[in-house]
Amino acid sequence: MNELSHLIEDSATKLFESFSESDGIEKMESGVFPEALWADFIADGWLRTLLSEENEGAGLGLAGGCLLMRLAGYYAVPLPVVESLLAIYLLAEAGLPITDRLYSPAIIETALPETGEIRLNGIPWARHAAGLVVICSVAGETQLVLVKRDDYEISEGCNMAGEPRDDVVITSDKLQNKAELVGISVEDINSWLALGRAAQIAGAMRSVLERTVEYANERAQFGRQIGKFQAVQQQLAVQAELTSASICAVDSAIAHLGTEQEWELIACAKVTTSESAGIAAKTAHAVHAAIGFTQEYPLQLSTRRLWSWRDEQGNEAEWSARLGAYCMNLEADSLWCWLAKQTA
Amino acid sequence: MQQLNFEPVLTSDKETALREHVRSFLAEHGDFPAANVIDSWSVCDPAFSKLLAEQGWIGMTWPTEYGGGGRSYLERYVVIEELLAAGAPVGAHWVADRQSGPLLLRFGTEAQRQYFLPKVTQGECFFAIGMSEPNSGSDLASIKTRAERVDGGWIVNGSKIWTSWAHVCHYMITLCRTAEPSDNRHAGLSQLIVDLHAEGITIRPIITLAGEAHFNEIFFDNVFVPDEHVAGKVDEGWSQVMAELAFERSGPERFLSSYKLLEESISVLGKMALKQESMATIGKFVARLMVLRQMSLSVASQLQDGKLPVNEASVVKDLGTSFEQELPEAMRLILSTEPRANAKEGIERLLSDTILKAPSFSLRGGTREILRGIIARGLGLR
Ligand SMILES: Cc1cc2nc3c(=O)[nH]c(=O)nc-3n(C[C@H](O)[C@H](O)[C@H](O)COP(=O)(O)OP(=O)(O)OC[C@H]3O[C@@H](n4cnc5c(N)ncnc54)[C@H](O)[C@@H]3O)c2cc1C
Repeated sequence: MNELSHLIEDSATKLFESFSESDGIEKMESGVFPEALWADFIADGWLRTLLSEENEGAGLGLAGGCLLMRLAGYYAVPLPVVESLLAIYLLAEAGLPITDRLYSPAIIETALPETGEIRLNGIPWARHAAGLVVICSVAGETQLVLVKRDDYEISEGCNMAGEPRDDVVITSDKLQNKAELVGISVEDINSWLALGRAAQIAGAMRSVLERTVEYANERAQFGRQIGKFQAVQQQLAVQAELTSASICAVDSAIAHLGTEQEWELIACAKVTTSESAGIAAKTAHAVHAAIGFTQEYPLQLSTRRLWSWRDEQGNEAEWSARLGAYCMNLEADSLWCWLAKQTA
Repeated sequence: MQQLNFEPVLTSDKETALREHVRSFLAEHGDFPAANVIDSWSVCDPAFSKLLAEQGWIGMTWPTEYGGGGRSYLERYVVIEELLAAGAPVGAHWVADRQSGPLLLRFGTEAQRQYFLPKVTQGECFFAIGMSEPNSGSDLASIKTRAERVDGGWIVNGSKIWTSWAHVCHYMITLCRTAEPSDNRHAGLSQLIVDLHAEGITIRPIITLAGEAHFNEIFFDNVFVPDEHVAGKVDEGWSQVMAELAFERSGPERFLSSYKLLEESISVLGKMALKQESMATIGKFVARLMVLRQMSLSVASQLQDGKLPVNEASVVKDLGTSFEQELPEAMRLILSTEPRANAKEGIERLLSDTILKAPSFSLRGGTREILRGIIARGLGLR
């Protein structure tokens, strides 16, 4: 890890630890936006992590952003860290004015209708946002439309962790003011969002592992700590393996941002983290037994996130099918050449 | 709780150039029969090892004064993974290159280095691993083979088992009891360099279920080993064996044993009407392989920095061998074919070879349960 990432980790850790002591998560889950946390987040400048210095940003790029997202996953931060950072970055790239308000990205995968309304499902934090950064592809160009909160209807929904995932309806007349995103494809944006989720998963997995190991060393039955039972040790070892693999997969994808291999390594990171998330949650709950099944005990904050995030932005089946299709299109014996390129 | 470290590493232009060089070598020498490409690091071909030695690809990381290449662990990594991915028969020199040489470099005497290492790098001296015994597998510290001190050396009695390629190798680093067992079970063990052609040694082949003469049983009947052939310190063999493990468990051979099956499956599936589930299966294994490569490369770079990441190596081996064992199980479900043990070539043969060899992947070099125990200890549970 270089100096910059240490810096990010140190200062974000302080902030997120202070969040853990707040009632932010309860607020979020009861439908109230954690304003105080958001204000601290803005005050520390994190919203502008991805922006260049000329946009008054930190110039840390998506690589720096991913470190923040991973920590946010570790601390189960009840803020739209992935969404807000990417949305404001896209606004800046499209040359639109930037403010410190919350925007959330929404991608339209289908062709844009000329008239009528368009429905977008599961848009993160749409109800609390100042607007949506709607992305679509028109005649091969990536277009961005900023749709203000007054210009879309929502029906509220949430994922298993209580994070807002709202269904949104926008009438097509609100999608007229398009700005072009040069050099960024819809696929790029999809994969960056997926990487953000993968980073959050890796962070949450680390927290779940630490908590579970600690619990296994405390809880005693039959006169000894349950962590001394080999059956428990063997399961925790596998959980540790998958946690390190997930962290490594995300780190590798971060290391390849902006290279030719970016998409492949992100695909790989989302497959690895989404697949491992469920196994980690299963083991953690098995080891904690009944106490872990309660609302009061904090394990659920991480595991409900793992169960949600593994399916968001494409689950392991979807990403592995895409990656598989990509590999099937390589020349017959070039799988190896392609693999070897991933570390060059 | 100790953090496991797998910080990703990127190779440089130097490694890329070397990779190209290995590929052009393979283009010339790399037409390996299908029957040999699965688990090719268990296929012994001394003539091929000699060819690699001529290229300077045995003992690459060792100092040049001992005939080594003075290259980095990353360079070695690139060469061995290219050879493994091509299914090259690298078994003859594998152990000497991977662990016996490094062991002598770390713990051996100057005379031992000067005597053994140049021979190894010339592809003329192969080493076997003499650890397991009939009654001591996972519980290695319980071995019974004894070495008694005599004038000028040691007399060894006992037996070893499952010794890969002992019938081809010249020497075996043999773990023996040199002092009575005490409360500290790990004390009193020593590693001796045993000449496998010495008087008093009997080597009997054991045929594997796949029909190969791969491993052996070895009997020692008053075998004399001179003092100069004690590897490292007397009675401190245990810590030396532990040091070997980071080398033994983290390499790309721990996930590439069945690689050729993946490559061939993709090529066969490419000619069929493909189902969505098949794509997902391929994608899933490719993703696992990508991450395993990163993890293993990261360990190689830590070895280069002089660290001994034994826990990380255990993680690579457990995840890696699970990968190479699960691969044939997944491929058989998406390939419309049956394994054929006697086929000369084709996917049917690769499938058959992989299924028949796979059980050993998670046994050799420490079983899955033992590795997970090591990882659990690293987590602070033991
Ligand atoms: C192809 C192949 C090549 C080999 N080559 C060599 C070689 O060159 N040199 C050499 O010295 N050895 C070699 N071995 C031996 C190998 O190291 C041993 O097989 C291995 O260490 C396990 O020992 P074992 O077979 O006696 O099984 P055992 O130790 O008897 O284990 C049997 C089962 O019990 C489990 N078990 C044992 N102890 C525990 C425990 N404490 N907790 C939980 N589970 C436990 C094991 O995991 C396993 O599932 C080779 C083995 C194979 C298959």
